[in-house]
Amino acid sequence: MPAIRTRGLTKRYGAGDESVVALEELDLEVAEGEVFGFLGPNGAGKTTTIDLLLDFVRPSEGSATILGYDAQDETDAVRDRVGVLPEGFDLWDRSSGHRHLEFAIESQDGEREPDALLERVGLDRNDGQRPVGDYSKGMLQRLAMAMALAGDPDVLILDEPSGGLDPNGIQTMQEIVREVAETGTTVFFSSHILGQVAAVCDRVGILDDGELVTVDTIEGLRNAAGVGSRLVVEVAGEPGEPVTDLTTIEGVTDVSRAEDGVHVSYTDPRAKATVVHRLVESDAAVLDFDIEEATLEDLFAAFTGSNSSREADHRAERDVRIETGDDGPALEAESEEVDR
Amino acid sequence: MTWVAIARKDFEDVVRSRMVWGIIAVFLFLMGIVTLGASAQIEDPSATDVIFFFTNVGGQIFVPIIALVVGYMAIVGERQSGSLRILFGLSHNRRDVLFGKLVSRTGVIAVATLVACAFAVALMIGLFGSLPVRTVLGFVTLTLLLGAAFTAIAVGVSAMTDTRMRAMGGAIGSYILFTLVWHPLVAGVHYLLAGELVGLEAPAWYLFALRLNPLEAYRQAMSLLIDGFVPALVGWENIVEDVPASAFQGQEPLMVSNRIAGDVPFYLTEWFAAVILLVWIIVPIAIGYRRFERADLN
Repeated sequence: MPAIRTRGLTKRYGAGDESVVALEELDLEVAEGEVFGFLGPNGAGKTTTIDLLLDFVRPSEGSATILGYDAQDETDAVRDRVGVLPEGFDLWDRSSGHRHLEFAIESQDGEREPDALLERVGLDRNDGQRPVGDYSKGMLQRLAMAMALAGDPDVLILDEPSGGLDPNGIQTMQEIVREVAETGTTVFFSSHILGQVAAVCDRVGILDDGELVTVDTIEGLRNAAGVGSRLVVEVAGEPGEPVTDLTTIEGVTDVSRAEDGVHVSYTDPRAKATVVHRLVESDAAVLDFDIEEATLEDLFAAFTGSNSSREADHRAERDVRIETGDDGPALEAESEEVDR
Repeated sequence: MTWVAIARKDFEDVVRSRMVWGIIAVFLFLMGIVTLGASAQIEDPSATDVIFFFTNVGGQIFVPIIALVVGYMAIVGERQSGSLRILFGLSHNRRDVLFGKLVSRTGVIAVATLVACAFAVALMIGLFGSLPVRTVLGFVTLTLLLGAAFTAIAVGVSAMTDTRMRAMGGAIGSYILFTLVWHPLVAGVHYLLAGELVGLEAPAWYLFALRLNPLEAYRQAMSLLIDGFVPALVGWENIVEDVPASAFQGQEPLMVSNRIAGDVPFYLTEWFAAVILLVWIIVPIAIGYRRFERADLN
């Protein structure tokens, strides 16, 4: 039984000619225990989908089930099994973080301890005693994450979970996602930042303008889109002869020499090690290297065709540059803020 | 039964609000001044006069307004701030949210009402050394019902609307309806049907239509309880009714029992006013629930 399944899920606002389609004929299946990335620009319909799953809004057509329960007719059964970290919320300013967690635990007949939950999301006891009105945005986000975990949900729905988080907070959030996924929890991770989704998700669905463009693994997406990632190796001196040989490495699609180093495009991540190895063996000294993953814009451009130039321009202003290295996506927090 | 958790949590939050306690303090201060000032002026003041003043200012202004203020943001506030999604994520459904909020806010108003009543009792004992227990109990009960009715109206409006401004408009609008529109409207219907303004002796349906207004139900019930005419905020009898000037001499002529020919029908008795207040608790919430249950909440 899939954790989440939607069939022809459609949501229109307004009537007649003036109706706006927020989501069109969404067919989606998320397996139990999977970490599913739901990727798309703001306004693509991600939050609408989540609202439909939680019976926050009613579908114009189609249906959704969570763990086999109908999202509309069996709302209580759905909500008992789901934990949600919504996007853009306020909490109750006058009560403490600790009290929020007590409430969350009581509401879900949970058995967890507020202090343990606080610790899990990186808040300490003193933070827990303070009224939530004094919290920073990042602390609110952490607290809401703790509340979502209070009932040990079978399905955890996260809508733009990195909003307001610093790199450290993003790290914590990703660790939590990996931990709960290990215990068999299904995670539905909605984000407009490719790097975040790529860091934790098994599969990714791309939503654009209310329509599901594709569903695939991250690697699959890159391959299918023919959008490679790029390795930039900073070198002192000229590498000489072996560099040209880099093109013969399997998975490498292009090699060029630029001011900041040698640029190697590839579609198979395993090619990276060989490239670096060859350069180290060459005449030039390797000073540093960096990996530039394909960006969301690149993927969109590849998948959405003619629409893409408009979309890409639109997004370029926001600087959602993705540079996911093995050190984790440290640079996205800033771009996230711009959207708020 | 998760509404209990919501009610408890919400009650804590509202009780911590300085605004609510500020309004109560200001009101009690004003009531103290009015009561002391007025009892110094009237001859032979009694404990019932204190109730009279409280009915007038407390019952018709303070309790409804504080109930509307406390109630109007109950649902729409959560809806606008996005915390309703959090509540839904915590397994609560729409019914739990609405019912929990209603219980909590009614509780806050009950506390405020009881504080005000306790203050009135303290004044009575302090000024007169005596306490008309039965009258006071009736007064407290009716005032609690009035508070609950206006809380239900406010929470119902809150559940029906999708923005704070609309909820505020609905809350203010309801108070204007009850204080300024209702009586002229009923008088207008009488004028259309009978071709003339109603006189001192009024048909039973006319008086009944007037008391379908919760403020009017409360006022009339209190009049019967303390056996003296409690004037409305606006003396519409003077404006939209053809009542002889002599009726305004003394208080009794305008009481319901004196405006009706023959026996007072059951629906114009004091206990029936309590029934009307109960209806004003149930109906707004039922309508609010129906709308809230069907709404898209984003």
